[in-house]
Amino acid sequence: MFTGPVATPKLSFAEKLLAMNWVFVLLITALASVGAAALYSVAGGSLEPWAENHVIRYCLGLGLLFAVALIDIRVWVRLAYPVYVLALVLLILVPFLGVDSSGAQRWLKVGAITIQPAELMKVALVLALARYYEWLPAKHISNPLALIVPVAMIGVPVALVVLQPDLGTAVLFAAVGGGLLFLAGASWIYFVFGITGVLVALPFVWNSLHGYQKTRVMTFIDPDKDILGAGYHILQSKIALGSGGIMGKGYMRGTQSQLNFLPEKHTDFIFTMFAEEMGFVGSMSLLTLYLIVLMAIIYMALRCHTQFARLVAAGVGITMFVYVFINVAMVMGLVPVVGVPLPLVSYGGTSMITLMFGFGLVLNAHLHRKTWFQRHEIRII
Amino acid sequence: MSSSEHTSRRNRRFTRRVLMLGAGQLGLFGLLGWRLHQLQVLEAPKYTLLSEENRINMQLLAPPRGLIFDRFGKPVASNTASMRVFIVPELTKDIDDSLRRLGAIIDIPERVRARVLRLARRQTPYIPIVVGHNLSWEQFSQVNVFAPGLPGVQTDILSVRQYHDARDMAHIVGYVGAANKTEINEDPVTRLPGFRVGKSGVELGFESRLRGKAGVVKLEVDATGHAIRKLETVPSQPGRELVLTIDQEIQHQAMERLKDLRRASIVALDARTGEVLVMASTPSFDPNDIIDGLKMDQWATMTEARDDPLTNKAIRGQYPPGSTFKMVTALAGLESGEITPRTKFHCNGGYAYSKAYFRCWKRRGHRTVQVRKALKESCDVFFYNVAERVGIIRLSAMGRKLGLGQVYNFGMPLQKPGVMPTPGWKRAALGKPWYGGETIIAGIGQGFVLTTPLQLAVMTARIATGREIVPRIVRPATHEVVDEPKVLDIDPANLELVREGMWAVVNEGGGTARRARIPVAGVEMAGKTGTSQVNTASSGRKSSELEWEQRDHALFVGYAPADNPRYAVAAIIEHGGSGSRAAAPVVRDIMTALIERDPLARPAYVASDAVRKTAARKPRREEG
Repeated sequence: MFTGPVATPKLSFAEKLLAMNWVFVLLITALASVGAAALYSVAGGSLEPWAENHVIRYCLGLGLLFAVALIDIRVWVRLAYPVYVLALVLLILVPFLGVDSSGAQRWLKVGAITIQPAELMKVALVLALARYYEWLPAKHISNPLALIVPVAMIGVPVALVVLQPDLGTAVLFAAVGGGLLFLAGASWIYFVFGITGVLVALPFVWNSLHGYQKTRVMTFIDPDKDILGAGYHILQSKIALGSGGIMGKGYMRGTQSQLNFLPEKHTDFIFTMFAEEMGFVGSMSLLTLYLIVLMAIIYMALRCHTQFARLVAAGVGITMFVYVFINVAMVMGLVPVVGVPLPLVSYGGTSMITLMFGFGLVLNAHLHRKTWFQRHEIRII
Repeated sequence: MSSSEHTSRRNRRFTRRVLMLGAGQLGLFGLLGWRLHQLQVLEAPKYTLLSEENRINMQLLAPPRGLIFDRFGKPVASNTASMRVFIVPELTKDIDDSLRRLGAIIDIPERVRARVLRLARRQTPYIPIVVGHNLSWEQFSQVNVFAPGLPGVQTDILSVRQYHDARDMAHIVGYVGAANKTEINEDPVTRLPGFRVGKSGVELGFESRLRGKAGVVKLEVDATGHAIRKLETVPSQPGRELVLTIDQEIQHQAMERLKDLRRASIVALDARTGEVLVMASTPSFDPNDIIDGLKMDQWATMTEARDDPLTNKAIRGQYPPGSTFKMVTALAGLESGEITPRTKFHCNGGYAYSKAYFRCWKRRGHRTVQVRKALKESCDVFFYNVAERVGIIRLSAMGRKLGLGQVYNFGMPLQKPGVMPTPGWKRAALGKPWYGGETIIAGIGQGFVLTTPLQLAVMTARIATGREIVPRIVRPATHEVVDEPKVLDIDPANLELVREGMWAVVNEGGGTARRARIPVAGVEMAGKTGTSQVNTASSGRKSSELEWEQRDHALFVGYAPADNPRYAVAAIIEHGGSGSRAAAPVVRDIMTALIERDPLARPAYVASDAVRKTAARKPRREEG
């Protein structure tokens, strides 16, 4: 009863491999290589302990990416809601069964493995929202009733991570969710009202808080206000960036990073280290590379024929953008310190898995851009 | 609208909005790029500087302080190493444990332990706290060997000033101490822990020569302050050596001679050059007790001790010169033409001026007196007459011409100027007019006239040589040319007349200081006694009947050999009674020691760094 303008192509495994967007794979491999090189420098010119692991993880991540990309998109449509529910349940369980890690409960320990439900939710939220709008008939998009479910889909996980507390992830969920509602076609009015509402409500909410609650919020926004804490880190980061100058201090010659003035230089502050050693030229090149990846994702989203595929691709794009923007803005002192890694460059297994899963979905959407869904495939559950 | 129209509208809307999103991302990346440009291009110089400040730790290297020698190269002040151990609270997790382990190697008294723990709680944790100093080599090396097992424990070797023959030389050499705020602002090296600067004596007066110049080590450090490598070392320039004009041997004899007196001082000069050979002041102190800075109780004892051991009375004691001033009065009279060598005054034991009556020390009077006899017998009435005729202004001017009433810029800080009174001075100092009677008693060195022993020695040397002698305490460096002192603007015949009087004081029957003759064949001393009244009520009474504080000061000035003056000496014994009885023998003994040892005939020591300098300069000269 519902057929698109183009027939769903049937692709064999080999054809799928050929049709994969290899340029994109090359671009993200370039990013991961920059990461490996930076981690090699951070370790003072050694593969241990980060660079080698980073490469291994990226290779494993590539396997995951191909697997995710090659699976038929209809499987992802079917899995979207169950994965979201699973992620939600795990997120709810965190406060009860979570493991403490530096003051915030973010991890769940299941047997020998620890998982971060918030990471799973990053993918699940994109899938679930895309799945919802694939189902929602186009004429109802701006219907207020049709907004209840997606807003709840976004709001519940945001509330849950705020409780952990994890501002970075909450912002990410809100940005990705809001971005997807926007891309799905919800009326401008909602966004105008929504943003105005939040801005108007903020002072009232703030004033109604008790003193200790305010303190809690302040520490959550700016965990270490003293000059020797976060302030010191940001100052040292700015010194590192600025002293890099136009051409940089040279690979493995960044005094700020090599002499440990920089905190977390293999994870959250790796951009600083890179910029110190490579200078303005290097840091702008890296930003440009990120921009190319982001534009490539938008290009792929534009070529998709189904709402699900294009929203999944765009959603992963927004996730990537929020990561890069918050991280780089943070190390330059434009936004408060929040622990957000630099995609594919920062050392860290969890974010690598999440991102490679996401990129796999982008490639999957691109590969299946002309795959139409049957009505029964996109029933509510 | 059909569902397919809705769908295509939705699709167009997606296209539009995703392009807007892309544009938004581009814009925000532009913001990042703008910020990067700001940081890495526009503000790069500022941050480069900050990064260098982060990376490079400049450590000052303290220069070793210049050594001080006496005239013949005997060390007077030197530097020794004090091996210290301290603890940096930041570098240890358990300061108690570190102290306990350290306690197994060196003895840590409970008092020190409590102080360390108290400071550790109070101070910033990276400031080192001294646990022990003056360690033995054995302890020091043990601490260093076991250092890995002693977290937070560090050692260093500090240069500590050491004074030799300390009590003899204390007032001349002075002592060192921690720098105060202004000194720190002038030279940052003084901020180094344990760095000492001169606080008195030549240690203070020649501070800039003795200090040297700080060196610098540039270290690359990491964020925790640990040195990674040495980038550059500029060695420190040691302070220059100082050779004093003092002959420690005779200085010691002088100190021994004064030892049994309560407050006394003696100064001996090379009469021709002004070089100070002896500058003794009793009681004295041991500067080694002060420099530590820790022994505050000892410092308190010293400042409160009887008779001011810390005060160098040779330059800070101001006394009425009494009859030793009569040479000034005589020369003032002769030079002004108010008297001639043959002018006679009659002394009947007193002098009436206005409503007052001024006595001569000899109640029976000296009968007819001329200048020579007046000096020899120290007739007061003669000098009352001269003073009245000359007037206070010309009298004071002669005093100043002979070296009184002034301080000498020769590296001995904290000198007192004494007083050569004038009506103007009195009005400024006391707000009262000058009375004629005050001129009369000034003529015999009483009243407002005040002098220091050093000034009296300078006066004696000037009279003896007829030259404008100024004191020197440090031997000139080899390349320094010392001009011969200028000839005094005084008629040589008048000077010769005064010298004759001074010779007669010691060597002629009836002179006031017959007992000061020198027991060396062929050498005669010329001099003048002085007995200055402390209290008018005491006049005419015997010293032995008075309380010590009430007794007269005993003074003597003299030079020898009388026919070829080489040494000029001045001594004051506070409340010593009569000058001829108490002061003259002291001067005689020191003068005898000087004549016998004759330090001026021996070659003086030349500073070793001065030798190096001349040697280094020679080849350069040949090049030119």
